[in-house]
Amino acid sequence: MELLAYGFGQVLDPFNLTVILVGVLVGVTVGALPGLSSPMAVALLIPFTLTLDAVPAIAMLAALYCAGTFGGSITAILINAPGAPPAVATAFDGYPMAKRGEAGRALGMATVASVIGGVFSLVVFLVATPLLADLALQFRPQEYFALTLFALSMLASISGRSAIRNLIAGALGILLGTVGVHLTSGVERFTFGLHELTDGIHFVPVLIGLFAVSELLSQSRTANVAYERITSVVIRLPSRADFLKVRWTLLRSSCIGTFIGILPAEGATVAAIVGYNEAKRFSRHKEEFGKGAIEGIAGPEAANNAATGGAMVPTLALGIPGSATAAVILAALVAHGVRPGPRLLSQTPEFVYVIFAAMLIANLMFFALGLGGAKVFSRVTLIPRTFLWPAVFVFAIVGAYSAAASLADVWVMLIAGCIGFVMQRHGFGAAPLVMGLILGPLVEESLSQSMILFDNNWLRFFESPICLAFFALTLFGLFWSPLVAALQRTAARA
Amino acid sequence: MHRTDLAAALLILAGCGAVYYATTTFDEVSPLFADNIGPAWFPRLMLWSIAVLALALPFEHRFVAGGRRRLDEERSDRVKRITFLTAVLLFIVVAAIGLLGMALAMVLVSALLPLLWGERRYRVLVPFALLFPAAVALLFSQVLRIYFEPGRFGFAFG
Repeated sequence: MELLAYGFGQVLDPFNLTVILVGVLVGVTVGALPGLSSPMAVALLIPFTLTLDAVPAIAMLAALYCAGTFGGSITAILINAPGAPPAVATAFDGYPMAKRGEAGRALGMATVASVIGGVFSLVVFLVATPLLADLALQFRPQEYFALTLFALSMLASISGRSAIRNLIAGALGILLGTVGVHLTSGVERFTFGLHELTDGIHFVPVLIGLFAVSELLSQSRTANVAYERITSVVIRLPSRADFLKVRWTLLRSSCIGTFIGILPAEGATVAAIVGYNEAKRFSRHKEEFGKGAIEGIAGPEAANNAATGGAMVPTLALGIPGSATAAVILAALVAHGVRPGPRLLSQTPEFVYVIFAAMLIANLMFFALGLGGAKVFSRVTLIPRTFLWPAVFVFAIVGAYSAAASLADVWVMLIAGCIGFVMQRHGFGAAPLVMGLILGPLVEESLSQSMILFDNNWLRFFESPICLAFFALTLFGLFWSPLVAALQRTAARA
Repeated sequence: MHRTDLAAALLILAGCGAVYYATTTFDEVSPLFADNIGPAWFPRLMLWSIAVLALALPFEHRFVAGGRRRLDEERSDRVKRITFLTAVLLFIVVAAIGLLGMALAMVLVSALLPLLWGERRYRVLVPFALLFPAAVALLFSQVLRIYFEPGRFGFAFG
């Protein structure tokens, strides 16, 4: 209780509140803008936050994460252009409602569902994080290795077109993580005589390149696309009848979203789609879905926001990101000298409560902003892309440079962006690469420590029941998607 | 067999080969650490993993849901000329930072990228190209105390 009071005390400091408000405003704006994503915004903001203390910096990024997920629903409902991937499912019913003149009702439901999902997952976050961290404290290097291997196997099933491509991107990320001096032997790896690479490849320029520059190149194809103007919208809180209709959907989707968020590597987009499908499956009015069903908004919105709190559980308790944005936040934590994982909770437990309080305040802020300012936020789509993306690139070069005041980092960003663009075209996602880059050093370190403990006998991994469980889950994670696809094909043929 | 993915797989395998060769050029490990896992071991494990996965790429359309069409969804249309030109412009701007300095490079990209993308509203473009980079440079140099390269012309908004 004391720690909770401390967390709120920190967050209610006027400066920190202002920083959270900035995070929420940036998050909703970025979320509302098609093409700009939460991971990109967090990556671009990291250099900006490096001048702040760790608490306001992470509070700002966490607030942006929550608000960015909600922001996507505004443009999904009003102009059928989901500002962020997690809002794709919201457009299925949100836009038909807007077309028949019920945009205000749809936006009101999206706002309320988002807040309920977000707050629900934060309660779970508060309870589950210390429990998970306590459990993880008992992990030895071999169990940690098995856990990170499991987390990497989850890359196979994250959103994207292909499990194999996700795994290749993840392995490439891990490989990039090996650049620099090898900690055990002091040998330089892949530095090619460049002293800039001795400390390894910095996260920040790579993240900015992969999320911002590659998207800029993609957007160059559609630079002249203009979105339709928004007509006047008065946002309405859900009526009692609406609320009663969706109450079980909200609860179900909040649970689904939180659970999916906790799973390593699975994020808000998967949660929203599952939330939508489940809302439809349990609905008494399935025929209304796709034509403007209110449950079709409540389901995905509660789920995608619940995934944000859920994703922070493994991120903070285990140091394993629960989503792409959480991976970027994890990189920000590391940049601020905070190493997430079980020791974070034993050494500086107050940090977790500060993040909880910041995310809760962020939810309340975007509730107010969503109800009062959705119309204003929806107007950001009127910013011409011919100005928006050059502005993003300006932030990208300044952000990549300022992380270490190094021009080499700007080159790293640009090259990462071009590689990211090519990879994206061929179905290799940026998110798995980032996960690999962040988890790579952890995998190598825990594997090295285990092999020293085991006297280089890798069979001893199988002596630990926890390792065996994680290895089984890893195999499940790797082969689940192809298995389901094969079963679906067989069923279709039959 | 999917031809594009076959080409991608061959490219990945060639890349793996080149990087594998780079692992053979790592310095010798001190005998003190000889019993531990060597510095090349883990990167090679990753390279083998990537290579094995890459071998499956040309056949992936046979077992992925949606098949060939799903895999080719984003790459079905050719990369447009504007995308190449944009990439070239970005490289030129970054290469020019050393000469022009960060502030002028920002002005350059703020002016040229909208022009390249077909923007012709000069009344908006000129103030944008001057004021936006100035605001960003001032924010980072004065508020956040980041030192920017002034370049050969020694110009910085801060």
